[in-house]
Parts: sequence; C-alpha cells; structure tokens
Amino acid sequence: MRFYLSTLAGHRRGVLMLLAWSALEGVPAFFGGRLVGTAVDQGFAAGEPLTGVLWLLAFAALAVAGALGQRQVFARLGAVVEPMRDALVTRIVKGVLNDPTHRRTPDASAVAMITRHVEVVRDATAGVLVQARALLVTTLAALIGLATTATALIWLVVLPIVAALALFALMLPSLAKRQRDAVMADEHTAEASGAVLTGLRDVVACRAADEAFEDISTQVGRQADATVTVAWANALRATVIAIGGFTPIVLLVAFAPPLVASGQLTTGAVLAAVVYLTNNVNPALHGLARTTSTIVMRLMVALKRLQEAAPRTREEVGDEVPSNGEFVLRDVTFGWSPDAEPVVRGLSLDLRPGDHLAVVGPSGIGKSTMASLLTGLMPPDFGSVLFGGAPVDLVVPVVRHHAIALIPQETYLFTGTVRENLALLAPSATDQDLIEAVDKVGAKPLLDRLGGLDATLGHAGEGLSAGEAQLLALARVYVTSASVVILDEATSHLDPAAEARVERAFSQREGILVVIAHRLSSALRANRVLVMDGGKPLLGTHEHLLKTSSLYGQLMLAWDPTHHEEAPLPKR
Amino acid sequence: MAKPGDALLFSVVRRDHRPWLLMLNAAVATTGGLLIPAALADAVDMALSGKFALFTLLWLLGMAATEIIGDAIGIVLAASITSRATAWLRNRLSRHLLALGHPSPFAAGDAVSRMTGDCSNAGGVVVTLISLAIAAVTSAGSVVALALLDWRLAAVFVVSVPLAMFLVRTHMQLTADDVLTYQVVSGDVSARLVDAVSGKRTIAAAGIADREAGRVLQPLPRLAAAGAGMWRTQAKMMWRAGLLLPAVEVVVLITAGFGVMAGRLSAGDVLAALGYAALGMSIVGQVPQLTALERTRASATRIAEVLDVPPAERARTTTTNGSGSIELRDVSVGCALHEVNLTIPAGTFAAIVGSSGAGKSTLAAVLGGLSAVDSGEVLRDGEVGYAFERPALLGTTVGRSIGYGTDADGAEVRDAAVAAQVHDVLIRLPQGYETPIADVPLSGGEAQRIGLARAIVRDPEVLVLDDATASLDTVTEAKVDKALTTALPGRTRVVVTHRAATAARADMVVWLENGRVRGSGTHRELWDDEDYRAVFTGGE
Repeated sequence: MRFYLSTLAGHRRGVLMLLAWSALEGVPAFFGGRLVGTAVDQGFAAGEPLTGVLWLLAFAALAVAGALGQRQVFARLGAVVEPMRDALVTRIVKGVLNDPTHRRTPDASAVAMITRHVEVVRDATAGVLVQARALLVTTLAALIGLATTATALIWLVVLPIVAALALFALMLPSLAKRQRDAVMADEHTAEASGAVLTGLRDVVACRAADEAFEDISTQVGRQADATVTVAWANALRATVIAIGGFTPIVLLVAFAPPLVASGQLTTGAVLAAVVYLTNNVNPALHGLARTTSTIVMRLMVALKRLQEAAPRTREEVGDEVPSNGEFVLRDVTFGWSPDAEPVVRGLSLDLRPGDHLAVVGPSGIGKSTMASLLTGLMPPDFGSVLFGGAPVDLVVPVVRHHAIALIPQETYLFTGTVRENLALLAPSATDQDLIEAVDKVGAKPLLDRLGGLDATLGHAGEGLSAGEAQLLALARVYVTSASVVILDEATSHLDPAAEARVERAFSQREGILVVIAHRLSSALRANRVLVMDGGKPLLGTHEHLLKTSSLYGQLMLAWDPTHHEEAPLPKR
Repeated sequence: MAKPGDALLFSVVRRDHRPWLLMLNAAVATTGGLLIPAALADAVDMALSGKFALFTLLWLLGMAATEIIGDAIGIVLAASITSRATAWLRNRLSRHLLALGHPSPFAAGDAVSRMTGDCSNAGGVVVTLISLAIAAVTSAGSVVALALLDWRLAAVFVVSVPLAMFLVRTHMQLTADDVLTYQVVSGDVSARLVDAVSGKRTIAAAGIADREAGRVLQPLPRLAAAGAGMWRTQAKMMWRAGLLLPAVEVVVLITAGFGVMAGRLSAGDVLAALGYAALGMSIVGQVPQLTALERTRASATRIAEVLDVPPAERARTTTTNGSGSIELRDVSVGCALHEVNLTIPAGTFAAIVGSSGAGKSTLAAVLGGLSAVDSGEVLRDGEVGYAFERPALLGTTVGRSIGYGTDADGAEVRDAAVAAQVHDVLIRLPQGYETPIADVPLSGGEAQRIGLARAIVRDPEVLVLDDATASLDTVTEAKVDKALTTALPGRTRVVVTHRAATAARADMVVWLENGRVRGSGTHRELWDDEDYRAVFTGGE
C-alpha cells in the first residue's frame, strides 16, 4: 500500500493536472443550484420568462463546460494510471525473480492471477481518480455554493455530511476484511472445483465422488456465506450514507420557515440549497457508497494479494573473496524445516579443480539440495560449505556467480534470438565462442536446424523438444568462464549417447564438474561418486563403492541396462 | 425465443419464497422513492410560506425512511438470493459432473468455467429481473408524477429523452486496435514472466534477476501507449454521455418555469419536476441490465447442457468380491477398443503394451470400471485400485491425498507411503504429512509414488498401474516394484508400460494395436515378432 501511494505521489504532476481539470468539472456543481434558484426567483416567478430561460441556458452551458472538464480528466488518466501500472509490474516482476525462497515457484496460473490483480489495480486506480475525485470536487463545490446562498443554514448541512463520512471511514477496515474474505472464498471455490474436475479420473478411480462433492460443496457454501456477510456490511454503509445525505434536506426545510418569514432567506436561496443537495451532493454521496468503496476495497485486496505474490526482495550480500577454486564441505546438514527429516546429514567432502563428482540416489531424496548448497543459494543448517576458504553464501555475489555455474533440470529459454539465449551468462562471448560451445555439447545439428545464431526462439522454447532446450542451456554454460559447473539432472531429456557426449565435454573443461545424476551411467564416468539415500551419505570411487557398499551394489544391479545401450566408458 | 436454460432459470426463481420478499420490499421502497420528490416539493413550499407544518415534514421523513430502509433490506436480500441460487446451481452441477464420471464429455477447464462463471451469472437472474422491473416502474411512475404536476412536463420529458439520447449517442466504440494491442502486449509480458519463473533456478544461481526482470518488462512502453489510447477514447465517449441528463433537465426546467409563471406550479413543484426528470431517466441506464439478462440466459443454457447429459450406464459390469480375476467379453469402447476378449487370472502380473494410441489406457480404464463400455461385458472378481502416470492428487493435505475417498487412518497412510517408497520424501516436507497439497513442490516421480500409495492404501484385489512408474528413475522403479510385491502379495497386477524390462518381468503380456489385441503371451514368446520389438525400440 505504501509503495502504491508513493508511486502515485511520484506522478504528482499528472495528478495535479487531473485536479486542475476537475475544477472545471466542478463548475456546474458550484453554480448549478444558484442558477436554478435565480431562474425561478428573478425569472419565471417574477413574470420574466426570458430572464428565466437565459439563466437556465447558462446552467446548460455550465453543464457542457463540466462535461468538457470530465473529458479532459479521462484523457489525462493515462498519464497517471499507466506509469503507475508500469511501476507496479516492475516491482512485482523483480520481486518474483528475486524471491529468496527457491522452492515456491509460481506456475502459469499464478502468473495469470498476478496479471489479473495488476489489471484490477489499474482499473481501480482509474476508478478512484474518476469517482472519488469527482465526489470530492462536486461535494466541495456544492457546499461552497450552498454556503454563499444559504449562509445561515450551512452548519445544518455540513455537520450531518461530515458525521456520515467519518462513520463511513470508521467502517472501512471491517468492510475491507469482509471483502477480502469474499475474494478468498471465491478463489477457494474455483480451486476446489478445479482440482476435482481436472482430476475426475482419479476421483472415479478412488470412488471418492462423495468426498469430492463434500470438498466442493463446503467451499461453495462458504463463498455464499461470505457474499451475504459482505452484503450486510454494504447495507449498513449505504444506510449511513443515505441518512447523512438526506438529513441536511430535512433540517433545511425544518429550519427555513422562520428565516424566510423574517426575510433572511429568499425563495431563490431555498431552491438553490435544495438543488445543491438533491442534484449534486446526494448523487456524489451515493456514488461513494455504491461504487467508490467497492473500488477501494478491490484495490486494497488486489494490492495485498500482489504483495503476497512478490514479497520484498532481499539484497544479496557478501564480501568474502575466495583464495582458490576448491570446495571444502565439513559436516554439512540441511533440512527444509527444523521438524523435518534432514535432506543432507553430516556430509564432508573436498573438491579440487579436475574433480568430476557424480551424485546418485533415488529421485526425490534431495539431490538438488546439493546443488543449491554448492551454489550458495541456501546456507546449510549446520556445518560449513567453503569455497576457496570462505563460506560460499558469503562470497562477493559477482565473484560467486562468475565462478560457479548451475544448470538445473528445468531449462530457462526466453523469447529472443538464439545468440541472446546462448550469451546470457557470457555477454562478451563472440559468435565463434558460441558456435564452438554449441559444437562441444553436440548441439550443432540443432543450431543448423534452427537457422543459426540469428534465429529467434518463441516463448518457453516453443518448437524445441525438452532435450533440445537442455542442449542450448548446456552450451550456454559451456561458453562461460565458470570454474565450477554443476549439472543438476541437466541432461535428463537427452538420450544416453548425447548425455555421455555432454558429460565428456564438460569433464574435459578445466575446473570442477558435479553431475547430479539422472541415470546411473553418469556414475561410471565420474572419478568420485556420492550416494544419497536418506541416511549418511556415502562417498568414494565407483570401484570402491561397489566393493564396500551393498547399497551401491544393489543400486547398480537394479539399474536396468536394457535402457542404456551405451557401453560404459573406460575410466579416465 | 425460449432457450434451453430458461426452464432452469425458472426453477431458480421458484426455489423459495425469497424472490417474493425482494419484490414486496422493492415495491415498498420504490413507492417511497417515487413519493419523495412530491413530498420534498410540499416541504419546500412549506418552508417558503414561512409557516412550519409538522405533518409535511414527517411525511417527507417517512418516505425517505421507507426508501432508505427498503434499499438496505434490498441489498441483503439480493445478495442472499443471488448467492444461494449460485450455490444451489454449483452443487447441482458438481454433483452431476461427478455422476457423469470419467471420461467426462466436458473438458475440465470448460467444466470449471461453467462451475464458477456461468453459475454465478445464472444465479443473478432474480435480481436482474427485479432491477429491470424496478427501473421500468420507477420511470413509468415518474412520467405519471410529472403528468400529475402538469401534463406538459410529462410530454416534454417523453419527447426529450429519446431526442437527447439520439443527439449524444455514442458513435464511437472503444478503438478495437488499442484494446487488442493492450491484450496482446499484456499477454506477452505474462508469457515472458512465465518463462523467467520456470528458469528461476538458473536466474538465481547466476545472480541475473534484475537483468532478466528488464527482459520481462521490455514490452511495457507499448502497453502504456495502448492503455493511454484506451483512456482517450473513453474520454470522448464519457463527455457525450455526461451531457444527457443536463440536457433533459434544462428542457424540463424551462417547461416548469413557464408553469410557475402561469400559476400552474409552485416553486417547490419545480424541484419536484427536476427530481422526477432524474428518476425517469433511470430506465436509460438499464441497457447493461438487458445485456446481463441475456448473459444470464446464455449461462443457464450452458449449465442445462451439462445437466441434460444422462449419466452413463454401468450395467454390463459385474463385480463380485473375491480372488481378483478379470474377464472381458467382446468389449468395445468408441473408436478406442474393438471387441476385446481377455482373461486375466487371479494373481497374475499382466503387462499391457502397444505404441501410443493403441488403446492401452482405455483398456486399463475399462478393467477397473473407470469408464463405461459401449458394448460387451466386464466380469470383475474383486475391487480394483488404480495408479497413474500423472496422478491428480486431491484432498486437503498430502496425507489426506493418499487416504482420499477412504477412512484410512494415519498409520495406514504411512504404511502405504512406505510401501510406495515416498515416505522418506514426505517426512522431509515442511509439515510432513500435514503439508497442504497445494504447497508441496512435487516432481513427477514423487507425485507418481504418492499416487501408488493411494492405490496401496485401498488394499484392492486388483492393482492397475497405468504407466504409473514412467517418471521414476530405474532404481526407484525397481524398488517400487519390489515394495508392491511385498505390500500387496499375490494380488493381480495389470501394468501399462513402455519399458521392455517391465514387460519381461510380467507373467503375461497383452499387446494392443489399433484398439485390438494383436497378441498375448509371455514377453519372450512375443519378442520373436519384429512388430512387437518395434513397440519398444520405436518408443521411449
């Protein structure tokens, strides 16, 4: 919310322009009542129809001026609303991409939700600027107009309105909460029915139609209740505003007779006062009750949801400088939470340039955690991960990012040229370097098929198979000067032969290679193997582990060679 | 013209007595509202006469109170009617969609949009109809009230409204170009964000978040330009619409002025005329309500479409409690299976193989009664449990997703998870088995093993695995295989698979081709056939 307001304040000029045109919009409200009063008083009632008609035509002319003012307000909305939306989107995108919790990755539907909320903020901001501002301008103009015509009664008019507005403001927080609950209930209903309807096969297979119906029905019922709760609040709000708007009229006519009798108030002044109240103030107040508050609520809910989607970003810190390119892990333990079983327990390991380590173990046991610990994305709970003698997560970020490269299983490709995609981590690489890297990982035929470096890629590597996308990601890291390369199941979509070629290419590169293995054949190519299977990790060469670890022997036996026609490579 | 959904809407209206209450309330509030300008005129005349009259003031107060209280009641009643009707429709629809079973004739996304969007549109029918009625009554009442003041006022009003509407009519539609550009660019930014988010680990590890944010945001200037264009167009539309009411008001006021001069009207009556002119215009704003009514009918039709599909018959299936054998006699399903005859004896490990599109999954679905057959007969001796390649995990927590649809307790769920080799993963989650299913970042293999645990916990006589271990690495698959043999000893097991090794382990292999059984026997027997070998070498 604070960010939103400060962004708006940043466009003060645009907002001031809007307010300036609003003054023109307020002109009919300011003069309207008085003109109608005068038209009757000095025109028709005085037997001078021409005067009356002329005053009314003046009223019409002012209405045109007001409409013109409104037109200018709308035309200038873009200058405030669009930059505000840009700032909001920028912040959210940065927040999402900098989010330190690497596990929680929003999927396509979460991104769609973010987009929807941003559009709500945009429309609601425009709505607030149009309606709340109009309300303010109209009410003020009408009250000033009223004060100049029926001065004696101004307090009777102002006090009820101010009281109603104050009460209304007091009700806003509880309204906001109810509105938010309703929005959440709506989302839960969609989620519950979406889960069941997309999983209908599984519902039938589990014979769980009753439980599924109960799950949906519970959310549906809650949503209905939440809607009614909001309606009660709305009714109360509408009543407060309606009373606040109507009381001045009643007070006015109740207190006017003695003033009219004593000549303090003219017919025109009374008419003008009533016109101000019925034609200007009341519609504005009703607008506030009906729409403005709804818009404000929607705005607040959307801003809050956006805040949750993109929490404040944490700046990467670290000023340690590594003294060499070696990794030293001592008694490293890591778990997702203090209560959960640790993923890594008591791991000690040294890695020197030229080392090629394979990490094997069943899927889901937390092999990727190793990658996150080595890249400094997560600090260990206990023990230390030292890179060149310094804790890796405290190494100067630029140094760390240049020295250690991670290729995860899920590939990052963006819309742009193949060159842009390949040079992502090495912006100064020449075309020659890029093509060489592409050739090394065996992606030359792919590059030729795509049409060279200048070819463009669509969203999410559209038109590429998962394996082809992985090849491009591999070439992208190959071309960098990183001295530590971590392949986290980065070859999972390649066939065994292509995988072997990639791993060979990387192991011939200088520095440390860590392969988090998808297939056990990766272990045969490494000079050391780390086995993760829930307990304390096992470390050794392939031969050593075969001799000493029955678990490793079982893993190798279970590995079904019929799928991996490729013959094991001779030891390096 | 009557639409298929109209009958449904009618039953929504007639569900309970609340619509009548709303109508009664609206009648009272509208009457109050229509009497206010006249009451106000009297009160102003009283004020101008300089003599205080209590009754006049009380009358005005009474009418105002009637309207204000009526409006408040109306808001709550309307929300209550709409939300209850929506809930009623949603419950009916979800019940029916569940009864239609699998495969559903309606795509999941489509069904969800009927559940969420269409039900809430159709649920609003009562309120939409009554608001239209209120607007019509209010406008008609205002014209009558104007006529009662002075017939000339009514005449001028009736003539001026259509004329004014004609003069300020909005020629311009929102320029389609800007709207389209806005949507396209907005979609582009979203797609870029989805790209970047799926590459988040790469971005985080390389520390290039800010640079990549810039890449996502690249199209923003075009978005802002299109947006500004939309506002300019809207400005042109708005200012013409803003002129409508003042134009009519001025005409009515001038007429009223002459009425005052001729002595037909009092000064207060001028205000009444002004008030009725504004009230009378309420019908003009009802065009969106008419659109809403059409949308309501269209939505009701979409709901009726679902409700009108009769649930499939499942009569030609016999399930008895017993050993776990399955027999198919001349079973055909659409164009997926043709006259399949098959016997799987109790306790057998059977593999179903075939290239993609051969009908493997349909056969697996028919075996356990997951989908109905068009003709033929399925004889089933025992309950069938399923595990899938991509299971949809349902239920509130991870633990519940294993026990889904059963009353299995924590210990049983845990045992099943241990057997499915997924227990080690689940206890490492932030809240263990109590972690909400939506918050769990599961890989394909993990989801498959939870799906297996879900099948194991039911302790079925027959277990059908529809490619349920495809995402597991070979080590884990072998572990799962072993665990299944231990957890469910002697059960009939039917496995849809692409892996030759799995087929080799099976007691019998059913080889499907174009919806027919091409051959059956052991893997070794079939392996001599070149076409059979092609099933495996061509796949994977």
